[in-house]
Amino acid sequence: MDHARYRMLIGADPRSSDPELREHRESCRECQLYTERLLRFESRLERALRVDVRAQTHRPASWRWMAMAASVLLGVVVAAGIWAVLPGASLAADVVAHMREEPQAWRRTDVAVPDAELNDILRESNLRLGAAAGIVSYASSCAFRGHQVPHLVVQTPSGPVTVMVLVHESVSRLTQFDEQGYRGTIVPMPGHGSIAVLMQNPGAAQARDLQRIAAQVRASIVWTR
Amino acid sequence: MNDGSGGNQRRTRFQALCQSLRPDLLRFAFWLCRDRALAEDVVQESLLRAWKAQDSLLDESAAKPWLLTIVRRECARTFERKRVVTVDVDELVAKEEPMLAAAEEQDLGELRAALFKLPVEYREPLVLQVLMGYSTAEIARELDLSGPAVLTRLFRARNRLRAAMGEEISAEAEE
Repeated sequence: MDHARYRMLIGADPRSSDPELREHRESCRECQLYTERLLRFESRLERALRVDVRAQTHRPASWRWMAMAASVLLGVVVAAGIWAVLPGASLAADVVAHMREEPQAWRRTDVAVPDAELNDILRESNLRLGAAAGIVSYASSCAFRGHQVPHLVVQTPSGPVTVMVLVHESVSRLTQFDEQGYRGTIVPMPGHGSIAVLMQNPGAAQARDLQRIAAQVRASIVWTR
Repeated sequence: MNDGSGGNQRRTRFQALCQSLRPDLLRFAFWLCRDRALAEDVVQESLLRAWKAQDSLLDESAAKPWLLTIVRRECARTFERKRVVTVDVDELVAKEEPMLAAAEEQDLGELRAALFKLPVEYREPLVLQVLMGYSTAEIARELDLSGPAVLTRLFRARNRLRAAMGEEISAEAEE
């Protein structure tokens, strides 16, 4: 594959995990740097497209939508009631809701976020990540419960795993949840809040790996303050 | 009339599904319509259409692409009805400033304005890929294009945006 072909294909899909593209990238320093520039832009593009749709509504909902919403309300109230009595459940619900906002993060890829970009995001939360964590294919600083938090996707042999570092969310014990296709765990990080680790639609074997992966991620976090 | 508890349960699940996907649908419609109020109308109408046609959704895991297709068609219908002939993009950007502004990162606002100015044939595949996680083949299917045509549009879309944001692209990647 020549440079022009590589740049056209990677320019169309910077997070592509095509083996031919990877092979060229690994043998060409120039194209490696080009890809890193594209990935930096890609992160900004992903954040730019994710406009806050919960912002002000421009007009009241019509009677038809309200009628539909009213019939949903009872179910939501019941579900919320059940959710509320589970320890740590509301935090898990917010984490899952956040996951649904960023579906593009879950792509299976072997393209790592450039180190400089990852470190910038982690620095805001006073931490860095050791190499043992695996390939970080997505990194974003996300608004969550009034704070900016690192939202990472780590590629593992069991598939992509999302990690949210929640330094402002202290939990007293480890909790697990299985909600809307997401299997996850919230792990206390004494003195540093907690981390949420999630998989999307995991198979039984992958789900069994979750605690091991969470422990691995937890161990690879180095707090800088 | 056959409306047993199974049917009720199914409808309740469908409503919950629509509610949970609504933010994604609204975001998609916003980037297609470039008008928040219009996007809300489009999504509302789309959900009503989906509600009426829910029996045609056989696999719940395919709900999101199914709903996105409905939103896309509803958008097209809306623009046909409105017969919008000319659009002043700067006016659109000014009108949607509260949505496009990004207090946390100033240049995100500029990038969003550049996205508004991107022709729809570039903007639409880009939104499907980046925001909705569609593969090239899925975009090709949705937009009725060939795979190479999708790749070309995605490549050009990014080049235009990077150029609009002041990045040097001419030497490293020619269209």
